[in-house]
Amino acid sequence: MSYFLTWLALMVLLALTTASSYIPMGIFNTVANMGISCAKALLIALFFMHLRGASALLRIAAVTGLLWLALLFGLSWTDLGTRPSAPAPIDARR
Amino acid sequence: MWAFLATEVLFFGPLFFGYVHGRAFQPEAFASASHHMHVVLGTLNTAILLTSSFTMALGLRASQTDRSPRLWLWLTVLLGLAFLGIKGYEYTSEWSEAASAAGGEARFYFLYYATTGLHAVHLAIGIAIVSWLALRARREMPIEVTGLYWHFIDIVWVFLYPMFYLLERYG
Repeated sequence: MSYFLTWLALMVLLALTTASSYIPMGIFNTVANMGISCAKALLIALFFMHLRGASALLRIAAVTGLLWLALLFGLSWTDLGTRPSAPAPIDARR
Repeated sequence: MWAFLATEVLFFGPLFFGYVHGRAFQPEAFASASHHMHVVLGTLNTAILLTSSFTMALGLRASQTDRSPRLWLWLTVLLGLAFLGIKGYEYTSEWSEAASAAGGEARFYFLYYATTGLHAVHLAIGIAIVSWLALRARREMPIEVTGLYWHFIDIVWVFLYPMFYLLERYG
């Protein structure tokens, strides 16, 4: 039953994210899309991947990849986000 | 398995970063290229993949309660193949647009093909493993581990879908 409810919630969220992108909200379109995606990912991780009720060790292992990704995003962005943008070679070629 | 999935997050990571950078510096080009995506097919594919995670979870439950997981596993394979079929159709119909795109749009298409392509390769491997399970698996452990991999692929797509298909649709 909880699997079915998870699936149903995922379908509702899919409908929400698709519908919301046809409403002009500026930056909040992206915020809504990413927020809904995070909610869907959380539902899948908690119920389909059984992280709800999993041991603390397993939960920590599950977020290590995301933690490293956040660190690498942060470090890369402090570099690329704070200097004048030069066209990437793939763009300059044409 | 969770340690492997952590490495997989970092495998996809640079493509996500490339996308964030492109969205930040060439937002108009990304939005206009996104309008060429088949939003109906993309939405359908998202629903198919989410449903395949549901059938995969039911397959694991069946094996845990001493029932045969076969039907659920074959259903998962079928949904996975349907996803790849639709994706293949999208790839071929977008190819000419992608080949003639320039500047930021070319970059969007490069990221689109690279990221969804890497995702499709993962899914193809997942389909092969689940097929093998449907033929051979007696115990629950291999189904559980494969399920984690399958759900991970699903989560990746959950983010790819709005990133590539849903930019400024109201325009």
